[in-house]
Amino acid sequence: MNTQQNTVSENNFEQCIKCTVCTVYCPVAAVNPDYPGPKQAGPDGERLRLKQPDFYDSALKYCLNCKRCEVVCPSNVRIGDIIQSARMKYGPKHNTSVRNYILANTDLVGTLATPLAPVVNAAVATRPVRMIMDKVMGIDHRRIFPKYSHGTFESWYRRHAAAEQASYEHQVSYFHGCYVNYNNPQLGKDMIRIMNALGYGVRLLDKEKCCGVALISNGLYGQAKRQAKTNLESIRAAVGGAGRDVIATSSTCTFTLRDEYPHLLDMENGDVRDHIELATRYIYRLIEERGARLRFREDAAPLRVAYHTPCHMEKMGWAYYSIELLRMIPGVELTVLDSQCCGIAGTYGFKKENYRTSQAVGEPLFRQIEASGADVVATDCETCKWQIEMSTSKRCEHPLTILASRLA
Amino acid sequence: MKFDTVIIGGGLAGMVCGIRLAEQGRRCAIVSQGQSAIHFSSGSFDLLGALPDGTAVDDPLAGIAELERVAPQHPYAVIGSGACAEYAAQAPEILRRAGIPVVGDSHRNHYRISPMGGMRATWLTIDGYLTAEDGGRLPFAKVCIVNVEGFLDFYPEFIAEEFRKRGVECGFGSVNLPDLEHIRQNPSEMRSANIARVFDHEENLEALAAKLRTLGAGYDAVILPAIVGINRSDSFETLRAKVGMPIYLLPTLPPSIPGIRAQQSLQRRFRALGGEYFLGDTVVAADVEAGRVRRIFTANHGNMPFEADNFVLATGSFFSRGLVATPDRVVEPVFGADTVYDADRAQWYTLRFFDKHRYQAFGVKTDAQLCAVKDGASIGNLYCAGAGLAGFHPVQECCGAGVSMLSALFVADKIINGK
Amino acid sequence: MNNTYDVIIIGGGATGAGMARDCSLRGIKALLLERSDISTGATGRNHGLLHSGARYAVTDHESAVECIRENMTLRKIAAHCVEETDGLFITLPEDGLDYQARFVEACRKAGIRAEVLDPDYARRLEPAANPALIGAVRVPDGAVDPFRLTSSNIIDAKAHGAEIRTYTEVTELLRDGTRIVGVKAYDHRAKCEVTFHAQVVVNAGGIWGHGIAAKAGITVNMLPAKGALLIFGHRVNKMVLNRCRKPADADILVPGDTISLIGTTSSKVPYDQIDNMIITPDEVDILLREGEKLSPVLARTRILRAYAGVRPLVASDDDPSGRTVSRGIVLLDHATRDGLEGFITITGGKLMTYRLMAEWATDLVCKKLGVAAACRTAELPLPGSGHSRKDVDKRIGSTPVAQRRSSIARHGDMAVNIDSGDSIKKSLVCECEQVSIGEVEYAMDNLAVNNLVDLRRRTRVGMGTCQGELCACRAAGLMGRRDAVCARKAKADLASFLNERWKGMQPIAWGDTLRESEYTTWVYESVCGLSDEQDKTAQQ
Repeated sequence: MNTQQNTVSENNFEQCIKCTVCTVYCPVAAVNPDYPGPKQAGPDGERLRLKQPDFYDSALKYCLNCKRCEVVCPSNVRIGDIIQSARMKYGPKHNTSVRNYILANTDLVGTLATPLAPVVNAAVATRPVRMIMDKVMGIDHRRIFPKYSHGTFESWYRRHAAAEQASYEHQVSYFHGCYVNYNNPQLGKDMIRIMNALGYGVRLLDKEKCCGVALISNGLYGQAKRQAKTNLESIRAAVGGAGRDVIATSSTCTFTLRDEYPHLLDMENGDVRDHIELATRYIYRLIEERGARLRFREDAAPLRVAYHTPCHMEKMGWAYYSIELLRMIPGVELTVLDSQCCGIAGTYGFKKENYRTSQAVGEPLFRQIEASGADVVATDCETCKWQIEMSTSKRCEHPLTILASRLA
Repeated sequence: MKFDTVIIGGGLAGMVCGIRLAEQGRRCAIVSQGQSAIHFSSGSFDLLGALPDGTAVDDPLAGIAELERVAPQHPYAVIGSGACAEYAAQAPEILRRAGIPVVGDSHRNHYRISPMGGMRATWLTIDGYLTAEDGGRLPFAKVCIVNVEGFLDFYPEFIAEEFRKRGVECGFGSVNLPDLEHIRQNPSEMRSANIARVFDHEENLEALAAKLRTLGAGYDAVILPAIVGINRSDSFETLRAKVGMPIYLLPTLPPSIPGIRAQQSLQRRFRALGGEYFLGDTVVAADVEAGRVRRIFTANHGNMPFEADNFVLATGSFFSRGLVATPDRVVEPVFGADTVYDADRAQWYTLRFFDKHRYQAFGVKTDAQLCAVKDGASIGNLYCAGAGLAGFHPVQECCGAGVSMLSALFVADKIINGK
Repeated sequence: MNNTYDVIIIGGGATGAGMARDCSLRGIKALLLERSDISTGATGRNHGLLHSGARYAVTDHESAVECIRENMTLRKIAAHCVEETDGLFITLPEDGLDYQARFVEACRKAGIRAEVLDPDYARRLEPAANPALIGAVRVPDGAVDPFRLTSSNIIDAKAHGAEIRTYTEVTELLRDGTRIVGVKAYDHRAKCEVTFHAQVVVNAGGIWGHGIAAKAGITVNMLPAKGALLIFGHRVNKMVLNRCRKPADADILVPGDTISLIGTTSSKVPYDQIDNMIITPDEVDILLREGEKLSPVLARTRILRAYAGVRPLVASDDDPSGRTVSRGIVLLDHATRDGLEGFITITGGKLMTYRLMAEWATDLVCKKLGVAAACRTAELPLPGSGHSRKDVDKRIGSTPVAQRRSSIARHGDMAVNIDSGDSIKKSLVCECEQVSIGEVEYAMDNLAVNNLVDLRRRTRVGMGTCQGELCACRAAGLMGRRDAVCARKAKADLASFLNERWKGMQPIAWGDTLRESEYTTWVYESVCGLSDEQDKTAQQ
């Protein structure tokens, strides 16, 4: 018999057998009844939308795109992708909101803000400015904005690091992302320090654009695609041309470059995907498989660290590498927090209409962090860091910042 | 990544096996493709409720001894009745150490009560869930069956109908709270898990207790669907103390709160013992050389393989795709191990949904050590445990959880002690 | 109870329901008797294709003309049961284009719009069509939901005074000399015999009409023809797809509501097997093999279930005296044919021509009763089709979009009668098909629902991909809650519903369907501890 030999459906949503597991782990459905939930918004809704596009429910915008539904699904249904794709296919085609445009264009705004960082930082911290942003733009006044750095990572790199980095025998390219470039160049510097200690020089890509995660979630798909194209060209030049792997410190940038490009933007990256790495994983491999060694300070004070697994890290399954690196550091006492969403989801939590949901989603995590007794929270995602620092009493750092601070 | 043992499948079998090994100091990883069937648990664990011919079993261990005679291909028979007795003593201890307070006796089944009021023979039941002994005698003469308003996955009228047959007087009660109204705004998410989240909040639990005190007045006991305690373990104890009269829980349709709790407890226990749990990952390739598995590759970890001395295949049956059925065959997709099934699809099932179907007993072919067989030869360091094993009917014989846990312990024993 | 009527109609398919409506609109006091639920025979077991007539254009001009006429009528009177999708007749390389020219010519002769399309344009228009096509003709085919259509006729018949009794099985035709004067029937719910009298008894029993006629000692020799179909999990195609060749097996793919249907096979079955339709692996094979030629994507689409209907084909050689008015529709006046007064048989035909069949039969009834009223069923919209979907949508705007659109698709303007007042009424019983508590209660109160299978036919509960895995339980719970003494019945009913669903899944139970079945077994047999003991007892 030769009928339906490939019985696994190509229509991924049809693999859903309505077991309801996704609904248990959706952070949004638990707190916001306006969101239809992953089963309804995803596979159930997809079937209805295929019947008729006007079954599209605009409430799909409440999806955080955390992909936790996909992680728990026993049927390998790409629930999160189905929901995001539906937004792209059936949702509003043109995003006209100024707020969404500003939130989504992290690198444009960063470029404008960094030269004036002291002024901008001071301004967005004041109540009148925040009230105006709330009323005029719909950015919640309770949200604390990340501070901009005075000067970008890229300009620092070109001025102070480029020449020296080129001299190392081994080379990697670094996808620094908007956060390192505009908000926290120090993380980039920490990463370079660690890589140098491992014998690797760190190079920039020919041309780097924002990975586009915020553009995707704010409906600016055309721009997301254009930026993806630029990034993939640069990555191909690094990987194929110069033989350099590309590493990123941000878990979300990594995830977007590797998985959202092909799944949501139809940007094929199969030729380079294996060469796009998360920094902690790359370092783990150098140490575990290639026998590289890091020398740590013996005198560093004991440090209690609690690791938070960002959603996209959970989806990639790579928290293990960051955790193992933290465990290698002498004097670090590590607690791994339950893997749960912090609620910020990039630009989601900045929006006035999502503020309540955002904080409610994160609440169990905040409670666990407060109870953990940790000195510092570690996480690979910058927006989780903002949310945790705003919503708890703890400082939050990238694992590599902690690691670098304890290098000999 | 290097481990002593890598377990594929994070359900009951995989987890029990991992915990057992980790308790013995082994470094283990569990790779699980999504959450497991524990999420649909009834709150009870079966050992053996019926023989293959349908004869009811009162004493599971005696029944297992009988299986050796009548069903030599049954996993219990392969493990052996002596070893089964030993593991049946260990399994509840493992659950309890993980924080799952089970009660039961391997020599005497009790009955659990279903969300529709039916009774099924079982072995271990989580504390707080209603059970019956001695042919179905219930521990009350007059009971109030309470439901949450608008909750569709629990059936007080069906339960009452069964209870009345047993001479129990039944009344009904309903609970509503502003926070429940809030989640009910969503037409589909009024599910057990979301309701339980509401009652994780102390003030709501307090309100529930107050309501139950009122509703329970004049009754011997109160029955409540399993909608308390998803993220805290003391909810039921707290409620019981606050209400001050007997309260019993009954399971609901999925998702199952006792199941989710059990899953989380096992996972936490495994991690606390140093185990690594990789959720949401799929094994895509395996290196098998000279009759041994050397390493496996997964979708998430790509070029970073999992290496180990031993591997355990605990991927379950069809539901979790430990077995995959095409129109003309049944395959084990990870290693391509040999499988036991009927070549003629017409034999797989009958026309009645409730019949015992032959497909339910299909599974991976194993040797006497429960090592997987491929192309007729055993793979020496690949053990099988759980629902993917062949030769038993988990539902009809009421033995699914028992086979999972006992085969997991058997396999762990083989790995710890060598063969 | 006064058990005397002008006319008794036996059979609650589309034709019987259409007749009940037609009679009552003409002021005739009608009683409809159905042994099971409405639309359980061939009415509910076909493609649900709103034929343009194109399929018959080459081989049967008269049927083609009837079809296109009724097609246009149904669009008007039954708008809420119809989806105006249009259809493509595609020519594959193996078919050759010769047939296309004949086909188009025949369509034009029958008055069917037939537009030859550029193959490239056709591929863009219907991406599910086999891209290897070398020709395509667009015709006004569509989809029609037989359950809604029948139910809507019943609603209107009742509104105009007809009495409808389902689960009432005719056991005997009462005779007074050479005249049929009534029927004796068994009421399966009340479990008692009942007798009804009327001046005319109409046999509208479809294939079962053979047996009904036999009760009067009359032979209407029918050839039961089994047609098997497969339902796919979602809507694969936007337009009806046909092969442009002589009609054959599995050459129609129809999109209907949330799913698509491929069919049919055709095989003669013995009359004693018509209540026992089992799909064979060979039939599944043929449907898939041929279906994939029409639309290759079917090879990679999940199949939900398989089922078969039995067409009532009347043997023409056994019709010496009867008036064969059409090669399709057969109206027999047994007074002239067999010398038996007060008894007529309406059969043959197809779902598409149900209204016309009802009209002809009612005309004959009128003649016998001396009633002069003219037929109005071609002009008066059916209940549900009075207002446009857009208007109804506005009126029930507060319900979530998918739920709102689904209920309008199912009930047309009657959707406004569904209680969506509070959050409980809006709660979903069936998540795949978006059936709310309000809709289930509406159906139970207004649409003569006696059990879960009836409920499924009225609302699509359990017709989604999960085939009742969660919703059947919830719906049974609601039914049980209505009346505490019914809890026992509701549970037995649930078991029987699951057996019914499994019957359709079993022929295609591999892959995800088998996974889902295993899961359903866990939920119902293990967690819920349900068995079909009561159902078994009930059936014995």
